[in-house]
Amino acid sequence: MKCPLETREERVLVAYSSRTLDGGDKELLEAHLQSCSACREFVRGQREVWEALDGWEAAPVSADFDRRLYARMQREVSWWQRMRGRMGLVPVYRALLPVTTLAALVLAAVLLERPSPPRVPPQPVTAQVEGLQPDQVVHALDEMEVLDQFNHMMKPDSSTPRM
Amino acid sequence: MMERVNTNMGGATAALDYDAELMLRVKDGDGASFAQLLEKHRSPVVHFLYRMVQQQAVAEELAQEVFLRVYRSRGTYEPTAKFTTWLFRIATHLALNALRDGRNERNQERLDERSDDMPALQVEDRRPSVEQAMVHQATLDEVRRAVAALPGKQRAAVLMHKYREMEYTQIAKVLNCSESAVKSLLFRAYETLRARLAHMA
Ligand SMILES: [Zn+2]
Repeated sequence: MKCPLETREERVLVAYSSRTLDGGDKELLEAHLQSCSACREFVRGQREVWEALDGWEAAPVSADFDRRLYARMQREVSWWQRMRGRMGLVPVYRALLPVTTLAALVLAAVLLERPSPPRVPPQPVTAQVEGLQPDQVVHALDEMEVLDQFNHMMKPDSSTPRM
Repeated sequence: MMERVNTNMGGATAALDYDAELMLRVKDGDGASFAQLLEKHRSPVVHFLYRMVQQQAVAEELAQEVFLRVYRSRGTYEPTAKFTTWLFRIATHLALNALRDGRNERNQERLDERSDDMPALQVEDRRPSVEQAMVHQATLDEVRRAVAALPGKQRAAVLMHKYREMEYTQIAKVLNCSESAVKSLLFRAYETLRARLAHMA
């Protein structure tokens, strides 16, 4: 094996130092290390870095991490819940969705058929929920179902730190 | 608002790992599978982010964002890569953004003042002298400073390689670069660390 330091193949030495060099490459390098003090020195330095990094422990995750996460997820859907309340939607809304979507499309088609109406048409009742797409509502309903499951899973006494 | 992280990992045909199966169940509305994924990956993600930004509170906030994004993306999730590749891609993306935004710009000060969110030294069993403990702490501070001084991508590569024992190919997918680019990143990073930490020997 040619000296990795001379052939600019130091990566082999880095891999060896981090113990990710396997098989034949490892044997070849180990044979080379017997006779090359420069490479031995390089590996020694890299191994020191590796060991120094080993000493760096990370702190345990806060015990309330999951609770905070689920609370954030809950907050995200509560907006939809409020919106649903304001619109007076009942749980069968989802079943009616294709119908309402179709109605919206028909209304749009009718409006497009008459590009310049002589007077301003009455505002559709859905104007107050501008930007609320039917699929978003379904999405929010799905979220709520999943979050209901989370609420069952979350136990109030999860006070042990998580490692 | 940070841009959305794409779930498509570039057409890799990874075998469906168990995590990906769980994620597909989340996609089908199974909250228990999400809880399982969270349980398994909570610590690895928080620890990775902690070593990236070196502040526990910021790391946990970013980790929350990671899992929120995982959850939000479930509808469009396709298991085109290992789940952890996707997960760490989101985490790395958020960490690099946070570093760029300077959300941890007080980092260096905090290193100096030795913040409270540092894990305690593992000294209980060996009961070392106060002097030994101080040497250990000084060494640790040196390591943290040296890692913090690395450019973001190098830092991420080293942390995934060292602490997650990720293969070059996976790191490449996380960082969206070639495998040889990863080798180069790692080599430069370890060399920089060696130069900075050499005097400690
Ligand atoms: Zn040599």
